[in-house]
Amino acid sequence: MKGLRHISLSDVFGIGPILAIAVISLILLVAPSIIVVIISFDTRAFVSFPPEGFTLRWYAEVFEQGKLVEAMLNSLQVGVTVTLLCIVLGVPTALACVRGRFRGTTALSVFVLVPHMVPGIVLGVAVLFAGALVGVVPSIWLQSISITVFILAVMVRTVQSRLMRLDPALEEAAANLRATPFQSLRTVTFPLLMPAILAGAVFTFVEGFDNLSVAIFTHGFRDRPLPVELLTLVQYTSTPLVAAVSGVQIVLAIAALIVVAMSIGLDKVNE
Amino acid sequence: MAEASLHQPATRPGFGQRVIDALVSGRSIWPAVPAIVVLTVVAVIPFVILLSLGFSDIEVAQGEISSQTFSLDHIVNALTDSLYWTTFQRSMNLALSTTALCFVFGYPVAYLFLVGGRWTKRLILVLTIAPLLTSGIVRTYAWLVILGGRGVVNSTLMNLGLIDHPLRIMNTHWAVLIGMVQIHLPVMILPLVAVMSRHDGRLVEASANLGASRLGTLRTVILPLSVPGIGTGSALVFTLSYTTFVVPQLLGGGNYLNAATMIYEQVVFSLDWSKGSVSSLILMATCLIVLVAIALATNHVTRWTKVREA
Repeated sequence: MKGLRHISLSDVFGIGPILAIAVISLILLVAPSIIVVIISFDTRAFVSFPPEGFTLRWYAEVFEQGKLVEAMLNSLQVGVTVTLLCIVLGVPTALACVRGRFRGTTALSVFVLVPHMVPGIVLGVAVLFAGALVGVVPSIWLQSISITVFILAVMVRTVQSRLMRLDPALEEAAANLRATPFQSLRTVTFPLLMPAILAGAVFTFVEGFDNLSVAIFTHGFRDRPLPVELLTLVQYTSTPLVAAVSGVQIVLAIAALIVVAMSIGLDKVNE
Repeated sequence: MAEASLHQPATRPGFGQRVIDALVSGRSIWPAVPAIVVLTVVAVIPFVILLSLGFSDIEVAQGEISSQTFSLDHIVNALTDSLYWTTFQRSMNLALSTTALCFVFGYPVAYLFLVGGRWTKRLILVLTIAPLLTSGIVRTYAWLVILGGRGVVNSTLMNLGLIDHPLRIMNTHWAVLIGMVQIHLPVMILPLVAVMSRHDGRLVEASANLGASRLGTLRTVILPLSVPGIGTGSALVFTLSYTTFVVPQLLGGGNYLNAATMIYEQVVFSLDWSKGSVSSLILMATCLIVLVAIALATNHVTRWTKVREA
């Protein structure tokens, strides 16, 4: 087919620039991260380009700084808590949204989406004020539950879209084989949902680990999460130390990407 | 599911078993109740409180509210304060231009996704999803490295002999805009790609067979069909860039005040609950207005496309 198409002048001048912009955009998406990784190995104590040597000094320093390690551990804890809460709260909710035979299943899906549509900083401020009124001070737990509420919709959505594409015949077969609903959920539905839950877990973990907009108002005074610590560090440090922290985070992101690609496939991400 | 009842197990399950089955069958609302409770306590009630704080006069004594009376003073004060107007205007301008530029740079990528082969598609997906899994601060920091005084842009230009002194790019409106566009680009591309992958390839072929140029096909077939994706992408990019905190704070220096940085200062540094609540409410309301406008525009255009198709 392609050979038969004539190439007109308007194609050369119309499509050419469009494809050129596409290539520029793709380079723009990835180049900054590559530059940061390159910088993180520079021997000089200030950030400049191109680098003049190779050292792992900044990476060593990241793990020598108690504050940074602590912040990473805090964020790890928030990430894991958020993920677990999202699974426990989100998977049953997705089940009710799709399988529900009660009035208001649509309302339920919308309700779950609302906190996600509200700007993160507004949610953060609201939780901070409401907590203060009832005597709940900001802490790593308040931060975790707030981010959970903020990101729950992603887990529900991911599981929901997978549930809707499941073949109901599989569960009917289980019922015909005298499986109780619980047995069929455990042995048939749940394993089929695993890829979606895993992908949802990656996104909720990343949000728990990286979220700043909600966290900046709800994090504990003593246990500062990594994004909050990094924000200060970026503003007051001029060494490639921040680049090294970024390098660590980029490696984590690549790992997350591989998990998503292997669980649901990258082309299913925005469904 | 009718067959299920025909094959009832001979022995009736115990009470506990029946309760569990009722809970997991997913037909009732019960599985969703924990989530509903948590969302109500951690999101809905706090929003109501935020709303009430914005519309009332409070007296804070020893960290607790001692009296609260209805009042429009804080809202009126904010709406007549020129600082609020300029700040929100700046945020709005920044967010709208970010959205427009994200479309300009993002749409061609989606087009490339449509016409590209399997590996091109895969590459585009990797390059758009990977940044979403990376911290926003890390991605913003990258621009500090690129645009800074001794950064990539300045050292390249100086090595080429084009300039003598480093250009001052950091801490300007342009630095913020560049960072905003690059950071929110994936959010624009993903919904567009989703629409593109649902396209019926035969439409494009039919258009080509009817003698349309590729540009003509893009304008008359592909673009109208991707309007829903444009709507979703714009709504997401707008919300994020209108309410972002990181980029203006880091790339704009300390003096670039947008709505989010203003709220942060009011809440965290001045501990002014009334001002913080009012600003948050204005932020949410103005954001909602633009979102509704985007939704209406998208609806209007898609209806028009459908009529034309018929």
